[in-house]
Amino acid sequence: MNLRAAATAVVAFLGMVDAMFLASSHGPVPCRLTGGCNDVLHSAYSSVGGVPLPWFGLAFYLFAFSLAVLDLTGAGRALRWLFWPALAGFLVSVGLVGIQAFVLKAFCEYCLASAGLVTTIFAISMFSRLRPIPDILQRTPSPD
Amino acid sequence: MIFESGQVYCKGFFPPISIMILNHMQGKKSLPIVIIVAGVVLAAGAAFLLRRSDADTPPKIEDRVVDTGAGGHLRGAPDARVTLVEYGDFQCPSCGYYFPIVESLLEGAPDLVKLEFHHFPLIQVHPNALPAALAAEAAAEQGKFWEMHDLLFQSQTAWSAKPSAEEDFVVMAQRLGLDSEKFKQSMKSDETRARVLKDVERGRAAQVEGTPSFFINGRPVHPLPQSVQAFKQIVEEGVASK
Repeated sequence: MNLRAAATAVVAFLGMVDAMFLASSHGPVPCRLTGGCNDVLHSAYSSVGGVPLPWFGLAFYLFAFSLAVLDLTGAGRALRWLFWPALAGFLVSVGLVGIQAFVLKAFCEYCLASAGLVTTIFAISMFSRLRPIPDILQRTPSPD
Repeated sequence: MIFESGQVYCKGFFPPISIMILNHMQGKKSLPIVIIVAGVVLAAGAAFLLRRSDADTPPKIEDRVVDTGAGGHLRGAPDARVTLVEYGDFQCPSCGYYFPIVESLLEGAPDLVKLEFHHFPLIQVHPNALPAALAAEAAAEQGKFWEMHDLLFQSQTAWSAKPSAEEDFVVMAQRLGLDSEKFKQSMKSDETRARVLKDVERGRAAQVEGTPSFFINGRPVHPLPQSVQAFKQIVEEGVASK
């Protein structure tokens, strides 16, 4: 059992739930922990080119989840393709948390949770990269 | 692409998911696709349940009657049976969300409901909320409170993120045909400020904790209805209870 792929799948699944919750939200969302969800979710930084940020998050989590499942089911060492997108996701998350802290001065718990999940995926991906992975081309395909 | 023993590989940066899937389809292994689709469906289901658990909390008018304070701006028929009191903040996104809901509520039942608006700017989190309230009060001095109220909410996203939106408010005043010099003076005057702060005091006395806070004939509405229909229903309950 590939633990890294399994962990990535679980974290990406939670990310999909979070992103879908935010993408489907109409009107104010309950915000019991941080209090600033609606300020963050309706701010000028909540969409890029008219596309709400949760949709970008959903695309990332779906991508990570798919790679993890492909890896887990033996379709190839798919997780190796996650490192650069995860790094990009991590940097974007740092930027978005920064905007919440310093520009909006309001926090959204669902967004912070998402930043945590992306960071976890990036950490797993970075850890995977530290260990040598045989090139996919060197692998002898298993006969069917 | 390199073909080897009927399998397809692609060397490159971008992940060859489609090729992996293709390989598996060739080998009649559709398991990953099934798991991915199942994962997406499960996640959508979980998100839907989370959303519904939130939306399912029925809006309610509390039993207690609160003194919501006098001095708010009135809109609608003075003898309307239901007084909907709103404590609002022009920079608060949720107030912006409720603006069209309250509008259509008033339009749908002009003789039944009247709105009484009070300022409750959350100055700690919304730097433009107090200037916006002052702008509405300055417009009120020239008889155009509601016109400014509507314009502030309609253009909320355009000015709320600015470090200082006072110039925007002056432009709005000009659009409304107000005397802009008088408007600027009113915005800076102590009397205007005192009127807004008096509203905040009234709100605190009425135990307003956040914005928007609504009261139907003095009874707090909590949790808030999320649609025009739900709001109408709550108002009808307010009529029945009076």
